Amino acid sequence: MNRRKFLTMLGSAGVVSALASTTAPKEAKASHIFPYYPESYGVLHDTTRCVGCRSCEQACNEVNSLPKPNKPFDDLSVCNTKRRTSATEWTVVNKYKMNGKDVFRKLQCFHCQDPACASACFAKCFQKQPDGSVTYDGTQCVGCRYCMIACPFYVPGFEYNEAWDPLVKKCTFCKPRLDKGQLPGCVEACPMDALTFGRRTDLIKAARKRITENPDKYLDYIYGEHDAGGTAWMVLAPANPKGPKVPPENPVLAGPEMKQLGLDTHLGNQPMGELTYGALGTVPMIVAFWPVLFGGAYAMTKRREAMHKEEQEKTVRQAREDVAKAVDAVVRTIQETEGEGAADRARKAMAEALKARGEAGKHGEGA
Amino acid sequence: MRNRTKMLLLTAIALVGAACLMFREPEGISAAHAPELTDSGAQPAMVLFPVSDKPSRGVSGMKPVVFNHKLHEGKVQECESCHHTGDPVPCTTCHTVEGKAEGNFVTLERAMHASNIAPRKDGRTPQSCVSCHRKVYTERLECAGCHSIVKPTENDDWCAVCHADLPSLTREQWQAGIQGKLSPAENVAIASSTIASKKPHEYLEGSRTRYRVTLDTLKDKYEANVFNHARHIVSLQRKIANDPLANAFHSSSSILCQTCHHHEPATTQPSKCVSCHTPTIDRAHPERPSLKAAYHLQCMGCHDGMEVKRPRNTDCTGCHRLRTVQQEETK
Amino acid sequence: MENHSIVIPTREKMFNMGPLLKPTPGNIITWIILAVGLIITIIRFTQGIGSVANLDDNQPWGMWIGFDLLCGVCLAAGGYFTTVACYVMGMKHFHSAARPAVLTAFLGYLFVVVALLYDLGHPLRLPYMFFFPGTTSVLFEVGLCVATYLTVLFVEFSVAPAEWLSNRFPIVLKWRTFVNKINILLTIFGMTLSTLHQSSLGSLYLICPGKLHPLWYSPFLPMFFFVSSMVAGASMVVMEGFFAHKGAHAYMDSTHLRESDSVVLSFSKAASFILMAYFMLKFIDMLVQANTGYLFSGYGAWWLVEMFGFVLLPALLYAKGSRDGNVRLCQYASMNAVAGIVLNRFNISMIAFNYQLPSAERYFPSIWEILISVFVVTMIVTAYRFIVYHMPILYEHPNFKDAHH
Repeated sequence: MNRRKFLTMLGSAGVVSALASTTAPKEAKASHIFPYYPESYGVLHDTTRCVGCRSCEQACNEVNSLPKPNKPFDDLSVCNTKRRTSATEWTVVNKYKMNGKDVFRKLQCFHCQDPACASACFAKCFQKQPDGSVTYDGTQCVGCRYCMIACPFYVPGFEYNEAWDPLVKKCTFCKPRLDKGQLPGCVEACPMDALTFGRRTDLIKAARKRITENPDKYLDYIYGEHDAGGTAWMVLAPANPKGPKVPPENPVLAGPEMKQLGLDTHLGNQPMGELTYGALGTVPMIVAFWPVLFGGAYAMTKRREAMHKEEQEKTVRQAREDVAKAVDAVVRTIQETEGEGAADRARKAMAEALKARGEAGKHGEGA
Repeated sequence: MRNRTKMLLLTAIALVGAACLMFREPEGISAAHAPELTDSGAQPAMVLFPVSDKPSRGVSGMKPVVFNHKLHEGKVQECESCHHTGDPVPCTTCHTVEGKAEGNFVTLERAMHASNIAPRKDGRTPQSCVSCHRKVYTERLECAGCHSIVKPTENDDWCAVCHADLPSLTREQWQAGIQGKLSPAENVAIASSTIASKKPHEYLEGSRTRYRVTLDTLKDKYEANVFNHARHIVSLQRKIANDPLANAFHSSSSILCQTCHHHEPATTQPSKCVSCHTPTIDRAHPERPSLKAAYHLQCMGCHDGMEVKRPRNTDCTGCHRLRTVQQEETK
Repeated sequence: MENHSIVIPTREKMFNMGPLLKPTPGNIITWIILAVGLIITIIRFTQGIGSVANLDDNQPWGMWIGFDLLCGVCLAAGGYFTTVACYVMGMKHFHSAARPAVLTAFLGYLFVVVALLYDLGHPLRLPYMFFFPGTTSVLFEVGLCVATYLTVLFVEFSVAPAEWLSNRFPIVLKWRTFVNKINILLTIFGMTLSTLHQSSLGSLYLICPGKLHPLWYSPFLPMFFFVSSMVAGASMVVMEGFFAHKGAHAYMDSTHLRESDSVVLSFSKAASFILMAYFMLKFIDMLVQANTGYLFSGYGAWWLVEMFGFVLLPALLYAKGSRDGNVRLCQYASMNAVAGIVLNRFNISMIAFNYQLPSAERYFPSIWEILISVFVVTMIVTAYRFIVYHMPILYEHPNFKDAHH
C-alpha cells in the first residue's frame, strides 16, 4: 500500500462516518434541497377564512386529552390578549389588527422541513417524519430546552411545574391520527375550512391558485413556502385593500404586512440549523490544527531555550578562559619582576577573590 | 293560531316587497340615456375605435366600444381620473393599438384593461376602465358582498358587454374610425343612436324562486338553518336596480344566482350544495370546502363584504339554534 | 521570610479546617448562604423548576445558563490561558500562577456542571447525549468538550491533591509523576478543547437570529466568545490574585509573592491588547453588518455602554496600569473587564434576547434563581478555600521543590 492509497482510504473513512452521523433517511446531497420528503403532508392556513371561533383549540384539547382550560372554548374574549402555545395548549388562535381589520391566525408547530429544534437537540428527540410531522420522543429528553431557544416560531412549551418528568410539549400534527388515516383534529373541526390538509406540494399549488384568482384578496406571499427553509404548515394572509399592491413573493416587502400578523419573513430561506453548521464545521479543523500549532510553539520555545543555554555556557566558558589567561599573565609578570614569593601571594589572592565573587553570584541567583 | 299570524305577517311583508319591486323597477331601468350636452362641454357619447398606426388592411381587430361620456362624467369626480395627463384629449392620442412614445408605449389594450397599475409617485395614478370598475364593485358595499366571493368571469360575454355589435356602424365608418379619420359628428351620431336603442335586462323575479330553503343536512349540535332565499334575492336585486354599471355587466337574468349556484348554468332547478360539497372533507379533493365550510364561506363571505354586522361570524346561534337534548328526545 | 507561616499538612495532621470553621463574619455569611441554598435545592428538585425560577416558554434559558454556564465557563478560561502561556510559550515566570489558575478553572467547570443540573429538566439523563448523540447540535459539541475538558482539568489539577495525599498514600506519587510527564500534552489538548467550547457557547445563539438583537447577533459570535474568553482568563488571574492576597496571603510562598506582581503586569498587558482587538472586532462587525442604524435606539445606547464602558475602558486601564507598573490599577481594570464579560453574556442570554417581545412577556430572574447562583459561587469559594488550606497551590511543597523544572 503506498502513501496515496492510504490517505484516500483515510479520507473515505472520514466521509463515511460523517454521512452515517447525519440522519439516515436523507439522501447524501451536497446541499439541502427541499422538500426532503416530496410526499409529505402539510396544512394551509387561510387567515382570510378564519373567524376566530376556537373550534380548532377545542378539538386539539379533546383529541390530545389535554387539561381543560380555565375559560371555556366558547369564550372568545381570550383572543383579545396575545397568547402563545404552551405545554397544555398546543394550538391557540390570536387576533391581530392588520391594516385596521381584525384577522385571526392559528398558532401551532409549523412542522419545518428541516426543523431548528431537531438540529438543536443534542439527544436526538426530534425527528422529521416522512409524513411531514415533526415528532418528539420524550423518553430521551434531557430537558435542556435548547429546542425552545432554537425554534424561530416560539412553539415548544415546557412543563416547568412538573418535578419528576418535565417534558417539552408541542403540536404533533396529530401523528397518531394521521397514522390511522384521519385528519388532524383541528383541521377536521374547522367550520370554515380555513385549514386545508394535503400534500405540501399540492397545497403550494392550491395557495398559488387562490392568490392568482383573487389578487385583491390575498397578499402574494405563502408564509412557510421558503421561510426558515420551508414549513409543512403554511399561512396565507389577506392583502391590504387600500394600500399599494405588494410585489409577489418578496419577503422584504411583504414583511411589514406579515409582521402585523405576527409572522417574521426575515428568517431567510435556509433551515435555521444551517446557521450553526459553519461553526460546527470548524471543529474538525481546530481539532486537527491546534495541536500542530501549539505543539510547534512548544517546540520553538524549547529550541530557543536550548540555544539560549548553549550560548550562555559558551560565554561563561570564554569568560573563564579569559580570566585564567589574564591571571596567568599577571602572575608571570609579578614573578619576573618581584620574584616567586610575591607571585604566589598574588595568585592566592586572585583565586580567593574569584571564589568569593562566584559564591556571591550563586547566592544572588538562588535568592 | 300563532302560525296563522306569522303567515299573515309574512304575506303582508311579501306583498309590500313585491309592490315595491313593481313600482321601483321600471323607473330605474327604463330611464333612457338621451343624448344631452355634458357639463364639461365634451360630447355626451362617442365610439372609441382601436386606432392603429399601421396602414389599415380593412376592418380588423377588436370591435369598437360606445362610451357614454356623460354618464361616466357624473360618476367620476375629476377629469384627471381618466385624462391622467390633465389634458382632455382622446385616449388614442397617446395609446394606440401598437403603443407609441407619447404614451410610454402603453398599448391601448393595456390603457383600457390594466388592473394592476403601479401607483405613481406624484399621486396621479392613471386608471383603466377595468381597474376603475373593479374599484367600484369591491368598494361599494352593495356590490362588495357577492364580489368578495365571486369575481367576474372574464369570458367572451364579459368582453361583449363593452365590445358589442354596433348595428348602425358601416364598414366604411369602421375603417375610418380605426384610422382616426371618422368625423366627430358621425361618431357621436352612431354612439347616441346605440345608447338610445339599449334595452334594460329582465331579472328573474324573486317571487318565482323558492321562498325558503331549509339547510338541514348537517344538523347535529345545532338545529337546521332556515334560509330565506327569496328575501336575499329581492334584496340583492333592489340594491343594484338603479346602478347602470351593475345593469350593464349583470347581462343575464341568472347572473345573480350564480354567486351561490356557481359552476353550473342558470336554472330554476339548481343542484344541491351537497352534491359537490361533501359533509366531511373529501380526501380526494382537499381543496374543495366541505359542506359546512361551503355554507359558512358563502354566507359569511357575502355578509363580511357587505359589512353586515349581525349576526357575528362566531355567533353560531344567530343562524341556527342550539339543539337541546329535550328536542332530540321528542323527535 | 521563606515559608513564613504556611501550614503544611503532615501525616499526623492531614486536615486544616480551622480557618473554615472559625466563626468570622465571612464564615457565618458563607454558612447562611449554604444553608439557604440547600433548602432551595431541595425545593427545586422536589417541586420542579417552575417552583423557584421565573423561566417561561419564551425565555427557557435564564440566570442559570446566562450566569452560571456562560459566565462560569468563560471566567474559568484562566486555566488554559495561564498554562499555555507558561508551558507552551515558555514564560516560566508565570509558573506560580499556573496552579491557582488550573484550580480555579477546574472548580469553575465542576460547578458549571453542578449548576447545569439545576437547569436541566432531567438532570440524571445528562449522559444521554453520549448515547443518542445529536451531532448537528452545537450544544452537543459544548457538552462533549466541557465533559472532556473537565476530565483534562481534573488530571492537570490532580497533582496538588496527590502531593497532599502522598503523606498517607505514597502510591499516588506514581500518578503525580505520570501527570507531570504528560503535562504538555494535557495543556495542548486543553487549549484545543477550550477553543472549541468557548467559541461554541457563542455558536449556541447562531440558530436564533430572530430572537437576539442585531447588535449582538453576528455570524462571528463564536469568535467573539473565544476572544473575550482570553480576556476573561487573563482578567480572572489578575482579579483572583487580588482576592487571594486578601484571604490566603498566609499560604503563599516567597516565589509566589515575588512573581505575582510580574504576573499581574504581564497579563494586564496581554489583556489590554486582546481587549483592543476585541473592541475593533465588535466595532467592525457592527459596521459590516450595517447595524449603525440600531445605535440610535435604547439598545444601541446600551451596546455603546458595553463597548465603551466595559471593553474600551478596561483596555485603556490595563494599558496604563501595565505601562506604569501600577498593580492596583491593573486589578481595578480586571474587575472592570470581568464585569464587562458578565455584562456581555447577560446581554446575549437575557437582556438583548427576545428583544422583540413586549416587556410584559420579558424575563427577570426570581430571587430564588439568583440565590441559587450565589449558592453555587459560594460553593466554589468554599471549595477553593478548602483546597488552598490543604494543598500546595499557592506555595511549593518542600518535598517537591523540583516539580516545575
